[in-house]
Amino acid sequence: MTVVPFDKSTAIAEILATAPGIPTVFTTGFASRVAASLDDRPNHFYMTGSMGLALALGTGVAMASQQPTIVVDGDGSLLMNPATLLAVGTAPDLPLVHIVLDDGLYASTGGQPTPGRHAHLAGLATASGYQSVCEANNPSALRARLTTALDVPSAVFIHCPVQPDATPPRRRVTPDLPGVAMRFSQYVRGAAA
Amino acid sequence: MSDTTAATAVFDALVGHDMGPYFATPCGVLAPLLAQLQERADYHVVAREDNAVGMAAGVALTGGTATVLMQNSGFGQSVNALASLVVPYRIPMLLIISMRGTPPDPTPENLAMGRLTEPILDGLGIEHHYLSAGRANDQIRDARRTVVEKRHSHALLVRPDEFDWEA
Repeated sequence: MTVVPFDKSTAIAEILATAPGIPTVFTTGFASRVAASLDDRPNHFYMTGSMGLALALGTGVAMASQQPTIVVDGDGSLLMNPATLLAVGTAPDLPLVHIVLDDGLYASTGGQPTPGRHAHLAGLATASGYQSVCEANNPSALRARLTTALDVPSAVFIHCPVQPDATPPRRRVTPDLPGVAMRFSQYVRGAAA
Repeated sequence: MSDTTAATAVFDALVGHDMGPYFATPCGVLAPLLAQLQERADYHVVAREDNAVGMAAGVALTGGTATVLMQNSGFGQSVNALASLVVPYRIPMLLIISMRGTPPDPTPENLAMGRLTEPILDGLGIEHHYLSAGRANDQIRDARRTVVEKRHSHALLVRPDEFDWEA
């Protein structure tokens, strides 16, 4: 049996297949580009700039909608703005699933190593008040953890150690950013109605 | 108006025009207002101003309004969140920004941001006015129209002594 590497694209494909209708915010860089390339859906929000802010945005969505919301974050994005972990950890009953795809690299800026190897990301989440913290290091574990997390009425942190993608995603996200926001907003409002 | 009366006028206007939830960051100038808002369930203290902007943006995407309260030093911290998220994606919110480094605040560590706040807002294309507690109800009603109907962000600037703060 061929062993398929658990890389960033594989993880994102697993997230899309497991939770196809859940509002999902993708962090800056390859995560957004991979998701848009795999399946450009109205429940996706692509954060093209504002590296480190996907988690804050997803927190606001989950807080106001009280509907399950997924943030697909990266180790580089999280380390750029770890203070957001506190906003999540101190919010009671936040229906947020925070998935961190940790490849140890700033993939979209040329693959420089992040300082993440010296940090315990799951420990940061626990220390910030997340009640539920787990790890997934293969696609079936990610599917299982995400499925469980979507039924948990408070924030869940899923740390995914992944291998870097061998090839970069093909295309950039659409330049129609107001269109991305409007489409996502309409989806979330429809889902909450 | 005393500091409490002025803050109450702004508080009443915000609540009356349903501008919450409120995402607040530390500020001595805004303290009398924050003291009243913090009793509300829709008041959230946020550790960094750009995160407050990000959370408000998330609320706006669900169809709600949101207000971010910050000092202009924190506005400096938020410039990229505004420039690369709020403005290009057209996600509207109300910003209430205290103007440290403008008269009567002589503190040298705030002077540069005091000079820069309005030009940066101009560069971002975010309309701004000075808040006047005596006209707060009309100003916040108009700001709500800008945010909800025009879907533009709006900033209300707060003089250091609006609520009787002293350096």
